[in-house]
Amino acid sequence: MTQTYPYPTGQQTAAAGLGELVARLAGVETTLAETTTDVDVRVAPSALLALATTLRDHADLRFDFLRNVSGVDYEADGMALKYHLYSFTHGHALQVSVPTAAGHPHVPSLVSLYPAADWFEREASEMFGFQFDGHPNLRNLLLEEDLHIHPLLKAHPLQAAELLQGIESGPPGFTI
Amino acid sequence: MTVWPEERVLTAEEASFNTVDMTINIGPQHPATHGVFRMVLTVDGEVVVDCEPYIGYLHRGLEKLTENNDYRQAMGYWDRTDYLAGMCCEGAYCMAVEKLAGISVPERAEYIRVMMMELSRINSHFMFLGAFGADVGSFGTSFVYAWRERERIYDLIEEVSGDRMFPTYFRVGGVTMDLPENFERRCHEVLGSIRQGIEDLDGLLTGNEIFVERCRNLSPLTTERAIALGVTGPILRATGLPWDVRKAEPYSVYDRLDFDIPTGRQGDIFDRYFVRLSEMYQSARIIEQCLQELPKGLVLNPGLPKTLRIDKSECYVRNEGTKGEYGVHAIARGGVKPYRMKLRSPSFCNLSALREMVVGNYLADAIIILGSLDIVLGEVDK
Repeated sequence: MTQTYPYPTGQQTAAAGLGELVARLAGVETTLAETTTDVDVRVAPSALLALATTLRDHADLRFDFLRNVSGVDYEADGMALKYHLYSFTHGHALQVSVPTAAGHPHVPSLVSLYPAADWFEREASEMFGFQFDGHPNLRNLLLEEDLHIHPLLKAHPLQAAELLQGIESGPPGFTI
Repeated sequence: MTVWPEERVLTAEEASFNTVDMTINIGPQHPATHGVFRMVLTVDGEVVVDCEPYIGYLHRGLEKLTENNDYRQAMGYWDRTDYLAGMCCEGAYCMAVEKLAGISVPERAEYIRVMMMELSRINSHFMFLGAFGADVGSFGTSFVYAWRERERIYDLIEEVSGDRMFPTYFRVGGVTMDLPENFERRCHEVLGSIRQGIEDLDGLLTGNEIFVERCRNLSPLTTERAIALGVTGPILRATGLPWDVRKAEPYSVYDRLDFDIPTGRQGDIFDRYFVRLSEMYQSARIIEQCLQELPKGLVLNPGLPKTLRIDKSECYVRNEGTKGEYGVHAIARGGVKPYRMKLRSPSFCNLSALREMVVGNYLADAIIILGSLDIVLGEVDK
């Protein structure tokens, strides 16, 4: 019933040389950095789809698994989306950062490349207000369907959450 | 006159008969949904043609709450995500904060953590076996068998941490207190009864012709499709891929322990059940090794400050939760609170594949397929 383990194993640390490989093969402008656990590749929203296609399809990269999508609100520094990818073929992991403007920034949807992006993007959309172009069904997922607030924005109050029940739309961070 | 069904010609009246698809709402309060989960099924006769899951009934704003509490306080919310295996969630949270701040964990604490996480895994899988047996039709028997063993594990967890379901036993930099004196004896006792319990359930379910016939060849999933859909954990391993974060990207002391990754053959419902069942034996093996190798020493890093402040740092830490890859994406930007903590919950991702698994199957099987995902709504809804 059990098999031997055919996949390369690694600790949760950034893979050496992976960032340079991605930058060389990407074909779009990227900025390299490193987080505590992963190599980080920063790319503009307009180049995301091209980069993701290369990451998924190039034989030396083969990032076939989208494990996570996080939105981040950096307040004065705008917002960002972080994609965490993993390759079952090569056993390496990568983080793709997409900095955007604040408000309701438009970012291309990755659903056509990674079906797993569906719910991740719906969640990021309702929590932060990202607009994923090309997503087939960008309705609220965890929040009420007619609630158009974005609770994970830093401007959104924590304590007023209960009072918002029933308010259909409103700008984030209003005072009550 | 008798006619073969395939050769029967419909009369004009029969052919003009208008059939409509019916919509069936299941949940949010329904015993088959294992929590507050709702799905709207569109059925054509007995066959499901569409499935729309609705989640969020248990959304408590975990990520917002974490941003608004300091590193020590926020931990209490995290074992309420996968509440069947709270220790695994605590483990992931603590690992994330430790990675951010560069805090080391004493060796003894790592072994204790592994034992607690594996006990939680067995606990959660018992819950699955019990509830899944009930889904398939063994009514209450499997449930009560599983409950008996879960009670023993909860007793042991309570002796160690002081609480049963939400222990908050882990700390950033170790665990809160050392094991009780008689732990080794008690743990062997519990493991003995666990092994017996697994065998009982194995005989009750795997040995049951009706159970096997209902689950075999139902809704098989290929490895490629599972990866594309973001499915991890026992469901991915059931497709034949031995991928487990404990082996693929080892954390804690898992790289020193000897255990196998059980896999399935075709990714159907029976394989998912069988992988979980086999995993429980492996977890028991891991705990026994830990008991044997348990080093002496401190259980909490003594150099920790009273209030933890973390400068700019970012990490994505993943551990093998009971349902799959439990990931924590953490960002610190100075101060005593995490700037952002995102939970990548395995149940959430596995559930997003439900539609594809259910469509084309019978309505009665939809319940089994949902049961085979082993979702915990606390984790789906955050």
